[in-house]
Amino acid sequence: MSQEKNYLQLIYRLILTVIAFGFLTIIWPYISSVITMLIFAFLFSTILLPLVDHLESQIKSRALSVLIVTISLISAIIIFLKSFASGMLGQAREFSSQIETKGYAENLNSLAVRLELALKKHVNIPDIDSSNIVSKINDMVGDIIQNVVSLAGTIGGFIFTAIMVLIFTIILLANYHEFKKSLVQFIPNKYFEMGLRLIFNVERQVSNYLQGQLLAASSVAIMSIIGLYILNATGANLTLVVFIGIIAGLANLIPLVGPFAGMLPAILVAVMNNIGSEAALSHQLFSTIPSPFYILDIILMFLIVQQIDNNLVTPILVGESVGIHPLVVMIALLIGGTLIGPLGMLLAVPTAGILKVVGREIMFLTRNAHLL
Amino acid sequence: MKNAYWANLFKNWDKTESETVTIIKKLPIFADLNNKELNEVSKLLHDRTYKPEEYVFKRHAPGEGMFIIQSGAVKIIVGEASGNSQVLAELSNGDFFGEMALLEDEVRSAAAIATDHSRLLGFFRSDLQILIERKPALGNKILQNLSKVVCTRLRKTNELLMQAQSDK
Repeated sequence: MSQEKNYLQLIYRLILTVIAFGFLTIIWPYISSVITMLIFAFLFSTILLPLVDHLESQIKSRALSVLIVTISLISAIIIFLKSFASGMLGQAREFSSQIETKGYAENLNSLAVRLELALKKHVNIPDIDSSNIVSKINDMVGDIIQNVVSLAGTIGGFIFTAIMVLIFTIILLANYHEFKKSLVQFIPNKYFEMGLRLIFNVERQVSNYLQGQLLAASSVAIMSIIGLYILNATGANLTLVVFIGIIAGLANLIPLVGPFAGMLPAILVAVMNNIGSEAALSHQLFSTIPSPFYILDIILMFLIVQQIDNNLVTPILVGESVGIHPLVVMIALLIGGTLIGPLGMLLAVPTAGILKVVGREIMFLTRNAHLL
Repeated sequence: MKNAYWANLFKNWDKTESETVTIIKKLPIFADLNNKELNEVSKLLHDRTYKPEEYVFKRHAPGEGMFIIQSGAVKIIVGEASGNSQVLAELSNGDFFGEMALLEDEVRSAAAIATDHSRLLGFFRSDLQILIERKPALGNKILQNLSKVVCTRLRKTNELLMQAQSDK
């Protein structure tokens, strides 16, 4: 009789799970964007919470603390975007004026010819046609312009999402502790203390991890900026130094791929700014290795920054609290990248970190389950 | 008319304090806290209800915090649940237990079982830690009171030990 009851209970639970899953699949397209916004808001509030709590302990007002943190953050983003836009505009103007001059096309052609000769000298590739390279570059420019137009459409959507995430973050920051309390009240008595322990530990470790990552990204950005200024002192003629540094720092959040992605803007700017300069074209690293347009210098500088970050800064700032095996990092990156592209790659490692902490706590819970 | 106007204007002046504040202000752990601070603490407390014979916590389970009895009754027992157990204390309205867990991440040395329909208020280590970060002055007051409670317990244990040794 009791076994029959158990089977019935199992079937009942199975049916409920299937119904819940089906329901979720139907409503998912309508709620997925809101859920994504909430996840981002939660991540941002986890990063900012210690700052708000600390400020509250000083000025004794939660609302004012949230207001100060939010306004500072928005101001920093606006200043960054404004100077980034004006910097990019300046760069674009300079580049277009370079294109307008007759010499530029000639330089591009002579560069293609030189490249062809250099490649033929070192690698035996048959039939490289320099005019073909120039036409391909022209096609590429056309493609880029088309992409920019479609990008403008998505920017509108992005701004809306950003505003919504900001509102959710402010609400979460202002009422975080009250929200948490009202959520934990649903935990049954038997699991209550364990539940509180789990939530607190996960919260702390995720917060430490995210803050560590942010600090590591900031240190990479600062080191890259310093490195780029040093390169400029040797005549690299790089512009948008601060933005390249910040992009390198942000790219650094994506392990394995990020450091290489961070180098690209610097190399692009170096080529754009130095095209036509004979000195830059014939530049040699350490006066021995040919490094046209300072490309090898830039790569070397970023490699040094990476080494300092990996061996000195990250171990100190992030620590070994959420140490994830490199193989797991690669798998997480692949899954994240396949699911939602570059954003997925950015979120893959923090998510793997969160899952590891949750898994560790659940194992502790399972070991002590007989005590509940 | 005039009376109604003044009564409306000052309607919140005679507002009675919450049931939670009335209970916790009598506890030594929250002694010397002003009404604002007591309200602040009451926001952190978790209101839990237990059925008769339901475990509040078991012996050797990881302890996370203390419980205050708002209504009902709780017994503290040591030993095996199968039989060989000994009731250490029977607690009722206004009593508190498990406060050691606020200071250390250790397992419970005794079990607590509700003997009646009980409403308990839970105050946990994680909440105290957050309170210390958000409101250090208030957190320090509570920590100081906690140390006083532990010291009093230690002094009493010492006295009992000395008495037991002199009885031998």
